[in-house]
Amino acid sequence: MSGQSQRLNVVPTVTMLGVMKARLVGATRGHALLKKKSDALTVQFRQILKKIVSTKESMGDIMKTSSFALTEAKYVAGENIKHIVLENVQNASLKVRSRQENVAGVKLPKFEYFTEGETKNDLTGLARGGQQVQQCRAAYVKAIEVLVELASLQTSFLTLDEAIKTTNRRVNALENVVKPRLENTISYIKGELDELEREDFFRLKKIQGYKKREIERQLAAAKQQAEDQFAEKVSLQKGVSINSAHNLLSAAMEKDEDIIF
Amino acid sequence: MSGASMVGDSSSWSTALVKISPYTFSAVGIAIAIGVSVLGAAWGIYITGSSLIGAAIKAPRITSKNLISVIFCEAVAIYGVIVAIILQTKLESVPTAQIYAPESLRAGYAIFASGIIVGFANLVCGLCVGIIGSSCALSDAQNSTLFVKILVIEIFGSALGLFGVIVGIIMSAQATWPAKSV
Amino acid sequence: MYGFEAMTFNIHGGYLEAIVRGHRAGLLTAADYNNLCQCETLDDIKMHLSATEYGPYLQNEPSPLHTTTIVEKCTLKLVDEYKHMLCQATEPLSTFLEYITYGHMIDNVVLIVTGTLHERDVQELLEKCHPLGMFDSIATLAVAQNMRELYRLVLVDTPLAPYFSECITSEDLDDMNIEIMRNTLYKAYLEDFYKFCQKLGGATAEIMSDLLAFEADRRAVNITINSIGTELTRDDRRKLYSNFGLLYPYGHEELAVCEDIDQVRAVMEKYPPYQSIFSKLSYGESQMLDKAFYEEEVKRLCLAFEQQFHYGVFFAYMRLREQEIRNLMWISECVAQNQKSRVHDSVVFIF
Repeated sequence: MSGQSQRLNVVPTVTMLGVMKARLVGATRGHALLKKKSDALTVQFRQILKKIVSTKESMGDIMKTSSFALTEAKYVAGENIKHIVLENVQNASLKVRSRQENVAGVKLPKFEYFTEGETKNDLTGLARGGQQVQQCRAAYVKAIEVLVELASLQTSFLTLDEAIKTTNRRVNALENVVKPRLENTISYIKGELDELEREDFFRLKKIQGYKKREIERQLAAAKQQAEDQFAEKVSLQKGVSINSAHNLLSAAMEKDEDIIF
Repeated sequence: MSGASMVGDSSSWSTALVKISPYTFSAVGIAIAIGVSVLGAAWGIYITGSSLIGAAIKAPRITSKNLISVIFCEAVAIYGVIVAIILQTKLESVPTAQIYAPESLRAGYAIFASGIIVGFANLVCGLCVGIIGSSCALSDAQNSTLFVKILVIEIFGSALGLFGVIVGIIMSAQATWPAKSV
Repeated sequence: MYGFEAMTFNIHGGYLEAIVRGHRAGLLTAADYNNLCQCETLDDIKMHLSATEYGPYLQNEPSPLHTTTIVEKCTLKLVDEYKHMLCQATEPLSTFLEYITYGHMIDNVVLIVTGTLHERDVQELLEKCHPLGMFDSIATLAVAQNMRELYRLVLVDTPLAPYFSECITSEDLDDMNIEIMRNTLYKAYLEDFYKFCQKLGGATAEIMSDLLAFEADRRAVNITINSIGTELTRDDRRKLYSNFGLLYPYGHEELAVCEDIDQVRAVMEKYPPYQSIFSKLSYGESQMLDKAFYEEEVKRLCLAFEQQFHYGVFFAYMRLREQEIRNLMWISECVAQNQKSRVHDSVVFIF
């Protein structure tokens, strides 16, 4: 709330106004773009959400089937089949690779599994239970597939969530903080400039007024002097007082309208 | 008489056999009667007993009933004792001159045969009752309705010893030593 | 003499035979299995089992019961009974009883060998071994640094020594596929057991020959089916078949060249006892084969109890217990995984 009507502290000059206007334009454009990005990300988000729900359900089923396949294998091949297989393993033959995928500008990690190296375990349970062991293996491979897919979906889900939050934050910031601030700054600058202009104008007018008065005064002074001189002349000619001379002059100064020259 | 007619082959087997004293035969017969029947009884008892002990661990209820099998085996030994006592009452002294008389030979052989009959009949009877008794104990431990039915088999089995005793006693009734010459 | 062992068997074996038959009476019946199949949770199973002979072994377990715990405790009971019988036995019964566990011993030895090859911890490996197959010097197997030492140690310490020396030389232990090694050992063991039983003679020989022949034939069929499509050659396959049994030698010749299940079926249908098993399967299906074999085995094992005065009852009892433990494992896993509908697929009723 406190930032709503703040403005930047700038020197209210025209250049600054230009700069601010440019920034406002930039902010508006950025706001529109980010909003589009946010929309695109949200669409992706919803899709992933739907896929996650369905994958989780299928994972539940698949894990159930594979545990049951393990039970069948244990039943036929003996309890120790788990240990036998585990102890026979050097390194994993199913591995997971990750790569980056670019979705609307966000780098999402995606996992996929690949088989490396042949398993030597084809002959496990040769004397009893071999079939069940192979079936169990197939079931668990499928389970791994689903798990890997679910893992990549979930990481993308989280990453997208982060990205959407940041983008939305930026959009909101632009909308609610930056743009109003810029607009406020611009209106402040404009106001200041207007005021300056008005000040100038006023000053100009005042000075003009002074000058005019000066000129009038000077004119009046000059006229008075001329009058005085004439009156002196007249008074000297007629031997009348200056006052009456002034009166004569003033009467003479009045133009007789009836005289048409 | 047969011995006298073959007096020329003094080293033949028949001479040797005939020259064995009838007392020997009788004594051996009595010994076999008691010894081998007791062997049979003991054999039967251990066969039954070992199974009975093992089975009674899981099913203690069978112990009292299955002692009947042991009793049947024991009866076999009693038959042997009875016959041995009877046989040894049949043993009489015979004057030296008559010791190889046909009558005394016959008496000797009769007692010997009787002893063998009783002994071996009781041996196999004891064995038979013992084996059946062991099966009886094991099946009773599993299913108690089987006890009575298998007991019937045991009864038939112990009748074998009885047959032996009967024939033995009849045999021994024939064991009349020659009367002392007046 | 066959038929006359009744006279002398009870001297040394009567007590133990009676004990074994007592134990057999404690095997779970069809009614028990029905009750167990109705259970909803593992605690229900524990409650039902506490009414049977497994009670004392399970009652001290804390409440969130795990299926592996149930199996462990039941196996523990079996091991206790076995040890009790073994310490009371004299020759040749004690040798016979030991022979029964050599199969598990072979599994344990192979497990430790592979674990050592892959540098696993000894203690962990020892915990994973089957309790019936433990012997005193088993820990020394893990001390070996490489295969030569292992061979020397194995030769000397274990009762399995003759099997190793017959079929594997020192070089083979390095390269040979573990499964082939295990199966070769097991083949040697079966043949040795068979010879031992033949030596014992009498009813033991007859009954045990039948049971062991079935085992050998079953293994032959399983090896054939499981090696279809793998890189096991025909000669290797033939080397793994035992030298006795109903299928020897002509059936083995035919099985060795089989390439798929229908051919196997064609071979087996010539032998009446196995024809009934294979007729239960529809064409091309082999999943039910294992269960069918288990059922047949249980039938034959139960028949072994019909005769008295032979050692076959001990073997039959151990195998029936193992089948029961398998059943219990199956039922508890089905209950724990909420797959109650599949429970009856694999439970083999003993009575």
